[in-house]
Amino acid sequence: MPLETEARAELRALVADFAPNDGQLMAALHRVQHRYGYISREALEVVAEQLEMFPAHVYGAASFYDEFRLEPPASTTIRWCSGPACRLENGNGIRDAMLAVLGFDDLGERTDDGRIEMVNGQCNGTCEQAPLVWVERPFEHERRVVGKLTAAEAIRITREIRDGESIDGGHETVF
Amino acid sequence: MVNRLMGGMKLSSDTAQIQGNFSQIREDATTVYERWRKPQRPRIDVAIDTSSLANGALATSNAIEQIANDRNAAIDLGQNHGYGMQWLQPLVTVTWPNGTSVIYGPVNPDDAALIVDEATGRSGAASALAIGVLSGEHTEIPSIREHPFFAQEPEQRRLIARIGLTDPEVMEHYIGSGGWAAFARVLYRGMQPDGVRQELIDGAHGGRGGGGFPAGVKWNFLAGAPGDEHYMVCNADEGDPGAWVNRVVMEGDPHLLIEGMAIAAFATSSKRGFIYIREEYPLAVERMEQAIRHAEAAGLLGDNILGSEFSFQLEVVKGAGSYVCGEETGLLSSIQGQRGQPRIRPPFPAAVGVFMKPSNVNNVETFSHVPLILQNGHEWYREYGTEAMVGTRLFSFSGDIPNTGFMELPFGAPMQEILSACGGVSDGAELKAIHSGGPLGSLVPASAMPTLTLENNSFTPYDAMMGSGGIVFVSDRTHLVILNEFISEFVEEESCGRCTTCHGGNQRMTEIFRRIMNGDGRRADAANLKLIDDMLQQSNCVHGQFSPKPMRNLLQHFREDYEELALQRRDPTLTLPGMTKFRVANPRDSKIEDAVAICPVNAFQGSVGARSINDDACIGCGACTEVAPGAIVREPKQLEAASMPVSAGS
Ligand SMILES: Cc1cc2nc3c(=O)[nH]c(=O)nc-3n(C[C@H](O)[C@H](O)[C@H](O)COP(=O)(O)O)c2cc1C
Ligand code: FES
Repeated sequence: MPLETEARAELRALVADFAPNDGQLMAALHRVQHRYGYISREALEVVAEQLEMFPAHVYGAASFYDEFRLEPPASTTIRWCSGPACRLENGNGIRDAMLAVLGFDDLGERTDDGRIEMVNGQCNGTCEQAPLVWVERPFEHERRVVGKLTAAEAIRITREIRDGESIDGGHETVF
Repeated sequence: MVNRLMGGMKLSSDTAQIQGNFSQIREDATTVYERWRKPQRPRIDVAIDTSSLANGALATSNAIEQIANDRNAAIDLGQNHGYGMQWLQPLVTVTWPNGTSVIYGPVNPDDAALIVDEATGRSGAASALAIGVLSGEHTEIPSIREHPFFAQEPEQRRLIARIGLTDPEVMEHYIGSGGWAAFARVLYRGMQPDGVRQELIDGAHGGRGGGGFPAGVKWNFLAGAPGDEHYMVCNADEGDPGAWVNRVVMEGDPHLLIEGMAIAAFATSSKRGFIYIREEYPLAVERMEQAIRHAEAAGLLGDNILGSEFSFQLEVVKGAGSYVCGEETGLLSSIQGQRGQPRIRPPFPAAVGVFMKPSNVNNVETFSHVPLILQNGHEWYREYGTEAMVGTRLFSFSGDIPNTGFMELPFGAPMQEILSACGGVSDGAELKAIHSGGPLGSLVPASAMPTLTLENNSFTPYDAMMGSGGIVFVSDRTHLVILNEFISEFVEEESCGRCTTCHGGNQRMTEIFRRIMNGDGRRADAANLKLIDDMLQQSNCVHGQFSPKPMRNLLQHFREDYEELALQRRDPTLTLPGMTKFRVANPRDSKIEDAVAICPVNAFQGSVGARSINDDACIGCGACTEVAPGAIVREPKQLEAASMPVSAGS
């Protein structure tokens, strides 16, 4: 039994109401990620104990899903919509321009200071705003939709984010 | 909340008692709902749904509230779900004490004062924003049912009849407008499970998740399965990019899905159910969870529903960004806390499902029609649709059209008229293709339009499928192959990884498409794509098996476009960066320095007045032509055709 740290005790309390063998792993992982922004190794162990599973099983499951993060998130995430309506509106050009501003080769990378990350996003049916990105602050549970973009606008907002300014465009939505 | 009944509700197999319990709930709810429809003071409802939020509904709502407070206006504020015209979001509905409701949009924060004026009696103040009358009468504004966007909908909506008229977060609105009556009647009339299943079979009610398998028949499998631990599972993973019809039901009328699932559970002796919702739909998750809590508090879910002997526990499971979890066995694995990998069937879920117990998986919409069929009878249900596909279904329309949104349409509705309802193709471009069925679906050529209708049989001659509700119109402004590359990359990323055919095949396909898009197509590519097609069909599950379809459609229906691109290495749309060159045509244009400033890769060289573009640095994003359209032009890159000359018909 690993030593009980304060963090571990807090984790234990966080998932105390989940029961084993009852289809509650996804919910437990979501709760941990919502609280800490990611699922640490320690959290994987605590969840495994609570649900009476092997840590390897919990890790195996958690790592299968794109949206479970096993490392802390960047403070700002740009989520680029990869869906069809956005693609038809120069979505690829917008993606490439934003990556260039941030000095990234591909989606999934983050800035050296760890502040900004750009990831692949999925269409959620707000295609009237295509082409769009979501700008998220995972720790604040904030998400803005920035839509009807042009490549030039995408470059401007990415520069603002890169230079640490808060963007005033877009619309607040549910996280 | 109507939860006071729980204490007083008597447990009984006495049908009169059950009916009494329900009457009480309905009476209270009806009062609440009638007051909502004919409020004492005018009420302004801002649509709150995923689409409206993306269009700024929160800012609109705040602005209206601010003005109403500042003026101390004698009005109330509420919310509903947007009616379907998503391009006109944020949508706002004003309801007056006489029961007349009018929809306005787009209502931006600057328009808030006009809406408050209109609501408080300055009639006509917001007439420029009026879209249509939702209920009641209005002398100047036509009924929303006459709006051209809904020209192909049935006269009355069925599945989404409540959308706009109710607040989806208030259960009394659902019950007060006829909700739960179907299930209550099943219970108090003492209807048997097989009778319920037969009603669906008689209605030929087909699944809405893509396959169209008859729901009643599938329920027979579960009802006949051994043991008394059966599970009813709702597939709300809705992963096809461009499809958001399940979202509309869950955000717009969540209790309809719950009632449908409760009836399904009753018909199959299931005591527990799950709704598996993709995590990209946080508002749907919130509304479903809240609706379940409300239903439990009212004694409509949980132990001894309405005091009967029937119990049903329902809960939401939130996915985590995996498309393949929409495949039913992947979904079951995910609910159980495993990697969401599909497995080989048989055994089918009716034999081995959640926790290895008999289970049944249906789509959100499959369940949501059930209360309506039981309430109105299978003959009513059969009034719309075709021989092969009965009823109506929700469709979402997007792509190169001005009018993005959703409609409830009878199966068999004509595509040409639907495109007109969507405003035709944007910017006067020509239609190139119809992308249906998501990434495992199809690219149907525009030449199909005159006869194409919304039913599977109409799509099959094109080696295509209609899919589960998402229709994307594709114009000739962008090269179609952009969608092929997107789709193959998507399927590869979302592959569960078990079959090499699937993840390896789609990876290979993506590489080939990327190379072609880069102006480096080869003569062997078509043959290799065909090989990949054959190989992919050997995958274990439909994810791999169907993934070559859009590529096959490209080669079947768009052969000339493909060959022009891959062999002659020409992109007539000038939208593929690898084949397009940006050139400074007018170095003295007043906007040229704006272009220099916006370029994300500093591709401009030379001094002011003599700017040119370094082709090696340019990434082709197009930002410079947006800010300086008079200075910079797109031109085809001069590329040699693929090694051998192309003979016609090769
Ligand atoms: C890769 C893949 C993804 C799928 N995604 C969904 C989905 O998001 N929603 C859905 O209802 N069905 C989806 N299906 C189909 C389901 O496996 C299943 O057939 C369906 O949920 C059955 O519901 P129905 O009988 O009510 O149509 C998917 C299938 C595959 C192969
Ligand atoms: S394709 Fe981007 S929102 Fe639908």
